[in-house]
This record gives sequence, structure tokens and C-alpha cells, in this order.
Amino acid sequence: MAIPKRKVNPKGETVISVSGLTPKAARYSRIFDFLVVAAVVPLFAGAFHLHVMLTVGDWDMYVDWKDRQYWPLVAPISMIMFPAALQAIFWVNFRLPIGATVGATVLLITTWLGRYANWWIWTGFPFTEGVPSQVIAGALLMDMALIVLRNSLFTSIFAGFAFGFVFWPSNYSALAPFYLPVEHQGMVASLADMIGYTFPRSNMPEYLRIIERGTLRTFGSSVSWVSAAFAGFICIFMHQLWWQLGRFASQTTFLKNGDVVKSFMGMKSRRAS
Amino acid sequence: MRTRTVQFYDVHFSKTDVKVNERFELTGKFRLMEDWPDAVTPPDIVFVSSVSPGPTIARVETYLNGEPARQSFAKLELGRDYDFRMVLEGRTPGSSHIHPSISIKGSGPLVGPGQWINISGDAHSFAFPIKTMTGLQIDDLQTFGLTNAIGWHVAWLAVAAAWLLFWLVRPLFLPRWLVLQKGREDLLVSLRDTGAGIIVAAIVLGMVFGGYVRANQEYPYNVPLQSGLNKVAPRPASPADAEVKVISATYEVPGRSMRLATRITNKGSEPLSIGELTTANIRFLNQGLPAAVANVDPTYPRDLVARTGLELSSDTPINPGETRELRVEATDAVWELERLVSFLTDVDSKFGGLLLLYTPSGKRVIAEMGGPIVPVFTELK
Repeated sequence: MAIPKRKVNPKGETVISVSGLTPKAARYSRIFDFLVVAAVVPLFAGAFHLHVMLTVGDWDMYVDWKDRQYWPLVAPISMIMFPAALQAIFWVNFRLPIGATVGATVLLITTWLGRYANWWIWTGFPFTEGVPSQVIAGALLMDMALIVLRNSLFTSIFAGFAFGFVFWPSNYSALAPFYLPVEHQGMVASLADMIGYTFPRSNMPEYLRIIERGTLRTFGSSVSWVSAAFAGFICIFMHQLWWQLGRFASQTTFLKNGDVVKSFMGMKSRRAS
Repeated sequence: MRTRTVQFYDVHFSKTDVKVNERFELTGKFRLMEDWPDAVTPPDIVFVSSVSPGPTIARVETYLNGEPARQSFAKLELGRDYDFRMVLEGRTPGSSHIHPSISIKGSGPLVGPGQWINISGDAHSFAFPIKTMTGLQIDDLQTFGLTNAIGWHVAWLAVAAAWLLFWLVRPLFLPRWLVLQKGREDLLVSLRDTGAGIIVAAIVLGMVFGGYVRANQEYPYNVPLQSGLNKVAPRPASPADAEVKVISATYEVPGRSMRLATRITNKGSEPLSIGELTTANIRFLNQGLPAAVANVDPTYPRDLVARTGLELSSDTPINPGETRELRVEATDAVWELERLVSFLTDVDSKFGGLLLLYTPSGKRVIAEMGGPIVPVFTELK
């Protein structure tokens, strides 16, 4: 397998030459790359998708749950977790500033696959009812901040905040048509409300939706920007927490075997221990 | 438990065979039982809905006592009646079992009698047109806005793919890890890479805020999701022309028979005959009373009408002002089939139901009844 050409630095050093890999080993390492990608992408895609389904749940699932207050708050706070951990794994071990983007990309692809298979083919819900949110914009900003700042704490402070803050505007452009007003039975409704009403989910009565409750409503029509700012603030801490978790989980640690353990493993006779 | 919560009656399906895009109505009434069980949250927040196997039908309009029921209602009253009307539309061809239901926050859906609705036609011909308040005519609610949403998602995927490819074409995991162990980070991330990152960040910010501004310009009159509770008054209370007191109640387990000793007082001005005992959607009819038999809607599911009917110790009408003790017996396997014998294992072994009585002129009197019930595990003599 051909090794992609790298730009040679002034000393003529390349990644391959400095790594010490022989040409044959380098070719095998490329095969190893593909094997890792083939294994890791489905693994993280499934895990991240499950995580979002369990923690963001209906806010990401249904168009008539995407309100101005809770959706821009709950979704990014939960959705930053895996990208932050992946960012740490890719950066700390390989200096690859792509972890967050990988997480956000596999999530969006998996989500659409799920919508198509589960919600359209299996249960027949229209796609409009299940338009998901995306966090690629925030994830890209996180990776860009990391490559510029090269520091996890500053990345948390600036890019963690950006991840939460841009969630609302970056998704609004895709979802704005669903907030057009219609008159239905003498009352105002958004098109999203109408979609949820028209195509019934038998076990999801209207009152289950959590739409603009609590004190953030005080800010009136600006509630979404207040939510976005608050989401950004929380994402600062979530990013650092999950960065550390990702870093911890990607460590290889060896524990010294004592005599008792060795005897259990058959590496030393019990009498000798 | 179900016998003491919501009693649906007069449920009617305007059609049982519809085509795709054809509308039909589901109407009826329900009584919220006065003796509401403690284990079930009271109907403080209620949503009137239909139960179907997925969105095989589309919901066009719903009403509760004539009020629009698109949103939930607050504080329905126990011991009172409400009527509902749903305008539904065939969407997916096939046979769908459709029920009315009353969803109560904290308790879940309490489902009314279901009927098979046969939907024929081409699924692809279904469309739900609607006009917005801004004057935009939408051909189909199922597809509107999708092109825009998917377009944006594809655009974001394209930017992400470009950034990933920028890195993935290089030697990846093993060489980079080895180089990093040797302290040569300078070989892994160059200034050129940083510059590329800054350019991509600028593109992302341009897309985010440019897209937001453009969406606001294109859709200046958007509204937030609508939520909140409506209020509705119950149906006017009908005069209590009959009072039913359950003296004792037993359920014979081997014979699947509910036997009630009742004391019925006629407080009206006409004689009353017992016509029907209905509870949790199942109906026991006094088949000797034409008015009771005529009260069964042809669309009412036949499996919920007990074949054995209602047995009474006396068929003689109760005269105005008279109080009479009567034995009422409702025997059928439907008690088990509909899983209504949970009082055998309940901590609160009680039952409830509605007794429907008729005057000679055909007027119907509905009386709520209920009380403790004792299971009998051997055959009664």
C-alpha cells in the first residue's frame, strides 16, 4: 500500500523516517490505520448515538420538542461529552486535532441512519417529525481551537463555550421553516407543533413536552440566546471533565504482579509463594 | 383499577372503511369516576388522543366539549362527563386498530374501545397540505422543510469531511505515536496546519452566523413552540334520577361471574328498567330490553359486548319513588380476556362501573356505582 507523500522539513525528516518504521512496517501501519478506523468508527458511532438517545432523548428526536429554552441547553451539554473525550484521545496520543469532529460526524450520520431505518421504514413517521440536531459546527470550532491553543484548559474555556453557544444558531438555520406560524382550530401553532400533532405518537401525549418552563422565560424572546450562553458556560466544565476522562481512559497502565497474583495465574507455584 | 377511572360510552366511528386521505370521525363521551383510585394520579393534566399502531392515521382536529384539544387540559372534574370528537384521516393502507384515549399526566393513557379501521389506497398518495399565517401554501407537511434541513446537514458533513481528510491522508496512529514518544511534535502539527485550522474556523463561524441571519431574513415571522394548559367545563350534570347502592359484590373466579346485590332508588318521574352495565369498555346488556340493545352502536367492537348479557333478579321496572333491592349478574370470559380481575391481587379490591337505566319513553339515565368486591375461589351455590 502506497504511503502518502509528506512534505519534507528543512532537515529532510518525515514522520515515517523519525518514527523508525521500516518501509515494510510503515505499509503495515497503514493497514493498521484502516483496521483501527473500521473498528473505532462503528464503536464510537453506536456508543455516542446511544448516549445521545438516552440523555438528550426527545429533544433531539422530535421537531416539536426543539423549543427555545431547553433544547439549546440540554442538547449541547450532553453532546459535548463524547467529542471532548475523543479530542483528548486523539490529541494526547497522536496529536490529531480531529477527535471532536470525528465524534460529531459519526453522530450525525448514525442519527440519520436511525431516523431512516427506525422512524421511516419501520414505523412510518415522516422525516419532518424526526429532524435531528447537529453539533458539527461546535465540534469543528473545538478542534480548531485545540490546534491553535494547544492546551486543554484554554480549549475548554474558549471552545467549550463556543460549542454550547453556537448550537442554537447553527441549528436554527436548518430548522427555521418549522417555526412558521399556522392557525389551527382557532389557535396559533408552529409547523413543528402541527407535525407532532398530525402524526400521532400514541404514547407521547402533548403534556410530556417540556417547553419553556422556569425562570429563563423572563427574558422573553431572547430566551434562546440566554440558553445558548448558559449552555456555553456549562460546556466549559463538561469539556474539561470529559477531556480528562478521555485522557484517563486511553492510558496504558501496568500493575506489578505480586507473588499471590502470580500464583493465581499459574506463573509461580503456591508453595513457592 | 380500570373499572374505577374512565368509563367511555357512546363511542362511534363514523366509518370503518376509508381511503388514504379520506377523513372520518371518532366521537364519544366519558365519565371520570367519582371513586377514583388512590393509586392513579387524578386527571389534573389531561390530553385527549387517539391510539393507533404508529401514524397510520393522521390527526386533523380534536375537541373536548367543543373546545379545541390540540393542547392539554387542566383539572378535569371527577364524577362528571365530557364528550370528545376527533377528525382523523387515513394515511397508511391496511387494517389499524384505533382507540380513543385519555392520557393523564402521572398515570399514562387510559384507552377507550378500539375498532378496526380498514384503510385502502396508495400510501404514496397521502399528503397533508396546510397554509401558514404568512401565506405560504405547503403541499405536504410530511416533506416541507426537509430540503433545507438536509442541505445544511450535508454542508456541515462536507466541511467536517474536508477537515478529516486533511489529516487522514497522512500517516496516522502508529507512526504519529512513535514520533510523539520521541518528542518531535513539531513534525506532527505544523504552522501550516494551524493556519488551515484558522481558515476552517472562519468558514464555520461564517456559516453559523451567516446562516442564522439568512434564516431570520427568510422567516421573519416565526413563533415558538406552543404549550400551555387549556380549561374546559364538564358537560352539564344530568339530574340524578337513579341512585344505585351496591350492598355487596362478589366475583366468582371459576365461573367468571360478577354478582352484585344492589339497592336502586328511582328519583325520577318515570319507571326505570336496568338496561346495561358498562365498565372499562365492556358492556353487559339486558337483552330483554329493546332500548338497551338499540343503544349499541353498529361500529362498537363486538368483542367488548358480552354475549351472555346481564342477568337480573327482576325485570319489572322500578317505579318513581320506589327503592328496590336487585341482584345483578354479569358473567362472561371477557372479564379475564380484558384483564379486569386485577382486584384479585390488588391492595384496593374495589370495582366501579356505570349502570344504564331506561324509561319507557326511551330516556337514558346513567348512574355511577361501585364498591368493595370479594373474590370467591370456589363455585357459588
